[in-house]
Amino acid sequence: MKIKILRQTLPNTEPYWEGFDVDVNKDMTIAGVLDHINYNDDIIDDTGKKTSRIRWECSCLQGMCGSCAMVINGIPALACETMIRDLKGKEITIRPLQKFPVIYDLVVDRSIIYENLKKINMFIGEYIPVENKKPKKREKELEHQYEVAKCLKCGLCLEVCPNYVNGNNFFGALFANDCYLVSSRNQSKLTEIIQGYEEHFGKTCSKAFSCMDVCPMHIPTLASMAKMNRYY
Amino acid sequence: MREAIVTGGGISGLCCAVKLAEAGVRVKLIAPYPSERSQSVMAAGGINGVLSKPEQGDSVNCHIEDTLKGGNYLAGKEAVTGLCQQAEEIIKYLEKIGTVFTVDSEGSLVKRAFGGQSYKRTYFCGASTGKQIVSALVMEVRRFEVKGMIERHFWTFFHSALIRGEKCYGALVYNERTDKVEAIYADFLVMATGGQNSLFGKTTGSALCDGYAAGQLFLQGVELKNLEFIQYHPTTLETCQKRMLISEAVRGEGGRLFYVENGKRIYFMEEIYGPKGNLMTRDVVSREIDKIVKSGKEVFLDISFMGEKEIRHRIPEVSDLCMKYRGIDISRESIPVAPSVHFFMGGLAVHLNHETNIRNLFAVGECASIYHGANRLGGNSLLAAMYSGMVAAKEIESRDFEQETVDFSDTEAKANLGLKKMKDTKSQFPVMYIRDMLADTMGQNLGIVRNEEAMKKGLSDLDYYLSICDRLSFDSSVSMYTNYSLKAILTLAKATLLCALYRNESRGAHFRSDFPDIDDAFAFATIIANDEGQFKIRMDKEHSYEN
Repeated sequence: MKIKILRQTLPNTEPYWEGFDVDVNKDMTIAGVLDHINYNDDIIDDTGKKTSRIRWECSCLQGMCGSCAMVINGIPALACETMIRDLKGKEITIRPLQKFPVIYDLVVDRSIIYENLKKINMFIGEYIPVENKKPKKREKELEHQYEVAKCLKCGLCLEVCPNYVNGNNFFGALFANDCYLVSSRNQSKLTEIIQGYEEHFGKTCSKAFSCMDVCPMHIPTLASMAKMNRYY
Repeated sequence: MREAIVTGGGISGLCCAVKLAEAGVRVKLIAPYPSERSQSVMAAGGINGVLSKPEQGDSVNCHIEDTLKGGNYLAGKEAVTGLCQQAEEIIKYLEKIGTVFTVDSEGSLVKRAFGGQSYKRTYFCGASTGKQIVSALVMEVRRFEVKGMIERHFWTFFHSALIRGEKCYGALVYNERTDKVEAIYADFLVMATGGQNSLFGKTTGSALCDGYAAGQLFLQGVELKNLEFIQYHPTTLETCQKRMLISEAVRGEGGRLFYVENGKRIYFMEEIYGPKGNLMTRDVVSREIDKIVKSGKEVFLDISFMGEKEIRHRIPEVSDLCMKYRGIDISRESIPVAPSVHFFMGGLAVHLNHETNIRNLFAVGECASIYHGANRLGGNSLLAAMYSGMVAAKEIESRDFEQETVDFSDTEAKANLGLKKMKDTKSQFPVMYIRDMLADTMGQNLGIVRNEEAMKKGLSDLDYYLSICDRLSFDSSVSMYTNYSLKAILTLAKATLLCALYRNESRGAHFRSDFPDIDDAFAFATIIANDEGQFKIRMDKEHSYEN
């Protein structure tokens, strides 16, 4: 199968496409394909030219860490859980996330995510949860918090979002979810968090909800937004 | 103000950084990637502790005894006592900072059974306990980042420690942004770099944990301990990209291991060890499964009787993983399992206060060897990660301020020259090729069952790789870190094989077919030291560390 990868040697050099002919089977993931290309003494591209190993980030290789977020056939996804059998067409294109600066090949710098969370004091500090007397409601709330705390900070929700540009002002779905998590676990921070939410999410989000389609953890962002909207 | 460097952004590093900052010590948290990428997020099953309202009959003393017994009495009693006594406070602390534990309808924490434990005492967050703890700790770290007490450095890799005269003064780090090695001075250096997974290539854990730091510190004179004790997790699932962990929680919830003979299910663990057989310690279960797999049969883990609803509630992540990577519906089908490398009981030798043999150099989490002896109990690694971070922080807090500056600019310049020289070499030799060969030789020669002949073969392979390692040219297609880390990783692998060869007995996770019995002469920790290039091994009979 033809695999086309958008490559880049250094942060300040021009990106270029390079193709590879790879024997794949339908049960392989894109991470497996990248490994397969790299697991050779010499890496040869589809023109027969010797080339360098493809740089990409990976840690857990099982959809739990968010390292390998990239754009596969135009859709932002984790390489380690995107299966060949689920992809259509005769060739596969892979490129780095484009809303973050590329360091090399498929590796991007996602530091801005953390810088932004820092700006809004996104931490719980003291545990003063919103009181819920009804056990069923309390259970639902905890379930929601559990789901939100699974966020990988992988950046897929930002990549797909029509409103997120470079993180200078609009901080995206992962930020909205953290707003819910912090305010539900420490109600004394509600006012501060609501202000940040409105400024960096609420007033700009056009509710395309594509973030929910690509989230590898299936985080219910819509439910987080509903809760935040109820707060103010 | 006192300053500390914490190297590593997993749970032990985060916990240590937070506790240091709380105590007024300024922290530089050095880790190339965010904590969401750390191996800690993969810890699934839970964290052990005896809390108020324990299972009838359980006590902290019982937790201590189970931990010591599970580790074949190789871990120090004092260390383990501290660990278990602190468990309740640690779990309460985690709850307080926002860890979303699984609770019952009354709002009380729920506990499950885990291997090698007399009672149910593993508290959990679904099957993603580590991830939930990381999420909570990351926010705590952020609280101190905002205050300027913790400074996180991404894209920064550990290079070496600044050591002079048995004392540590900070670290050299490689900054990928500037492509340079920089000296960072600090009063204390805390290593929290995880296990040495890369010795075996792909393990159940993170590809980022490679053992480089332990190998490099060993080259710089830090002693290592119990390297031969490597935990194979009994239940892992083969997928196209790695063997993935099937959490012990599945057996904790009642999951049963079996193989099929003449069309009949043989529940072999229950037949050999009785009704609690599926929850024997990991070393025992792994060896039994290994025997069956080597006889050509397949072993399965069945949890289908739990029913779809309960599975979704108690172990949703396991169900998702099996479906996603293998199309297995665990509410209907059994899971094919086999053991795989999972955890390293050995690592940097530390005293009770988590300091190494070098003053002001500490180690916490999996890279430190202290609580688990010859085999670790499930649920004790998250506990040890938290506890060790707290102990190291407390020790640092109590230290008198030693204002002393030593200039390491020569060392820094030399390190940069070393990297430049490495880069100037023209021909290309793939570093990754040696890394793959290393994994092959370790997998083949240091498996669940070991013998002298195989280990000597492994050692001769290692000697060869080490002999060519210095003559390798720069491999520009992988990162600078991958290039410079090779030698220390190979050195650590060699030290591991030497320790395994030295221990002529079988104990815990170290099983020798040529010495199948336990031998009192080896009832001590193995210490390996690097004496100017000579590897010297001893049994720690004087209990110079924590035993």
